[in-house]
Amino acid sequence: MADAAPLWATAVLPVALILAAVCAAGFDAVLSAAAERGRAGTVREMGVRAAAPLREGLRLLAQQPRRTTAADTLLIRLGVALVPLAAVLAGAVLPWGFRSVSDPSVGVVWFNAMEALSWAAVWLAGWGPNSALSLIGGYRFLAQGLAYELPHMFAITTAALGAESLRVGEVVAAQDGLWFVVWMPAAFVVYLLSALAMAFWGPLGHPLSRDAAGGAAAELTGVDRLVLLGGRWLLLVVTAGFSVPLFLGGGHGPLLPGWAWTLLKTAAVLALLVVGRRLLPVLRMERYMESAWLVLVPLTLLQALFVAVVVLNR
Amino acid sequence: MDLRTRLRSRVARRPRVFHVAVPGGTEARLGVEAELRLRGWPVSGTPADADLLIVCGTPRPHDAEWLDRLEAGMPQPAARVVVQGPARAAQALDTGAAALLTRPARAHSHEEARGGGHDGGHADHMDHDMHDMHGMGEVAGLPMAERADDRDQLRLDRLHLPLGPGLADWPAGLVLHLALQGDVVQTVEIGQLPVPEAGSPYWNEPWLRAAQGEEIGRGVAARRRCAAHLDSVGRFLAVVGWEDAAARCRRLRDEMLSGASRESIGGRLRATMRRVERSRTLRWGTAGLGGLSARRARSAGVTGPASEAGGDAYDRLRVWLREVERGLDELDDAELLGSGHVLVGPRGRLDGERPPSRALLDVLPELLTGAEFACARIILASLDPDLDELAFAPTAGAAHG
Repeated sequence: MADAAPLWATAVLPVALILAAVCAAGFDAVLSAAAERGRAGTVREMGVRAAAPLREGLRLLAQQPRRTTAADTLLIRLGVALVPLAAVLAGAVLPWGFRSVSDPSVGVVWFNAMEALSWAAVWLAGWGPNSALSLIGGYRFLAQGLAYELPHMFAITTAALGAESLRVGEVVAAQDGLWFVVWMPAAFVVYLLSALAMAFWGPLGHPLSRDAAGGAAAELTGVDRLVLLGGRWLLLVVTAGFSVPLFLGGGHGPLLPGWAWTLLKTAAVLALLVVGRRLLPVLRMERYMESAWLVLVPLTLLQALFVAVVVLNR
Repeated sequence: MDLRTRLRSRVARRPRVFHVAVPGGTEARLGVEAELRLRGWPVSGTPADADLLIVCGTPRPHDAEWLDRLEAGMPQPAARVVVQGPARAAQALDTGAAALLTRPARAHSHEEARGGGHDGGHADHMDHDMHDMHGMGEVAGLPMAERADDRDQLRLDRLHLPLGPGLADWPAGLVLHLALQGDVVQTVEIGQLPVPEAGSPYWNEPWLRAAQGEEIGRGVAARRRCAAHLDSVGRFLAVVGWEDAAARCRRLRDEMLSGASRESIGGRLRATMRRVERSRTLRWGTAGLGGLSARRARSAGVTGPASEAGGDAYDRLRVWLREVERGLDELDDAELLGSGHVLVGPRGRLDGERPPSRALLDVLPELLTGAEFACARIILASLDPDLDELAFAPTAGAAHG
């Protein structure tokens, strides 16, 4: 059972998430630059490349916003602001070691509900600017949601089933000794896929992909763009981070304190996603949908069945 | 110096760039892309995310309209530069960066993006077709989408959407007038910007010059063909969203054009081609799109890789990959392209009645109709027509004459 974190943790949480997002984005930028221009020759050059996301953030801050004709500014703002908001709210149940900002008895459900906000977010941000390509991007996220959400829910349900609780703290406590990833590998892999889908990033970044000139973000400028794209990194950090309490034993581990293990494991999952992204093109939803429903849903159901049988016989 | 000014001066050191090519601007585009890579300036996929608009090639008066619209679609402060040839790329980029610094910040870009009562900044994405929509209501001076039966006989909104010419990873000068329902392409009309008569199309240059009696080594021609295919593969991969592999292909293309030796480039080139070819996800995502049988290709006059592949988008990609690897062995071939040699450019036979890209454009509507928007872009990228060829009077019989 997790202890309640002190009040100041509430203020620290967004800062910590932003820091982690900047580090992950910097790592991603270094890898992208290596593909584009070859390896960095010097440490200084490496630093310049890693700072690209920060520079990009400053650049967007200095930009004057531009509006398209008959745009619905309120919808855009709402959609854009929902992305980081969803990430931070979902992060509230993320345990650092064995403490989280809040550990409600339905923490797992809370987490899933917050991520589902990004459905609304991308849709609104795509709809608002009154532009066809942006709208196409928004639509794509709805299709993506239909494809990933079912296998995703079965995957996280499996972890809750294994712990016989929806409280994140108890899910972590149940992994003292044996991590869930060992006996729920399918659920873990499906969870990682849907983590990418929820953050609409990397191979599952079709709603914002380049063939539609940036899709839902095609018409966003300045601060709007910064908040949406930055929020996307926050979402990625949070969803990757949540795989640690769900499947990777949370803060459990030898020698190091709990928070250090959480940090290490989260960094490892993020690194896996950022590196793995290089190997894959963007998945189009009409293709992904087929395998999501025909392969991933039955797979996660079998996984859940297996876990249920084990739990009943315990 | 206030904070915003200081930020702007930082931005001007590495502005984010949106670049488009006008017809005939292929060589300038390659020069710009190489220079951008050298400097490490980020490249944007939409004008809304760019500080600097780079026009590659020599725009003519009729280009002013769409280029102005693109520029109006950029947030302030923004600047535009024209790069007429590869040699001027570096200088033009400096000029652009300097213009960003000195340009006075306009009060607000609102008025500009609304100018003319049409879609302003993103009109290149979305220009409602006025004449089709009589009797429909208007919002903010824009016509609403009309309605029509879809493929399942449901009455759905139909949107007229011109795509191009100001789109990233898009053939220079091509305009597709799509009618979309949802994101399904219902009808396609092909338009294009006029192509200048002067000069021969960059990708076909070695063969055309050889046909005119110049002495061109086979190695030179092989190099150009490899680069042309790498350019197409890079664009294809960018459209399917595999940025890393696309970036690698484009880097290899530029090294190829700058005369890298077979030893220095061969290993990396092979590794990259293998990696693309072995990707199951790529195959899974693109197989079955835009099927063009060998028979249909022949009857439409398609020669080149699209005809050789005789299959879908993925098959066409594989032909490019294979030809690149094969071309690698010929890079150092000093033998001359014989005058009796069949004239085959990267996109097909150059001695036919029509340029090869004309045939590619002709089969395009039947391949795109009924496809989804994302698939339509992949199909187009898998054919990758080069509109520069269209102005060029074919050398019918020249080689054999």
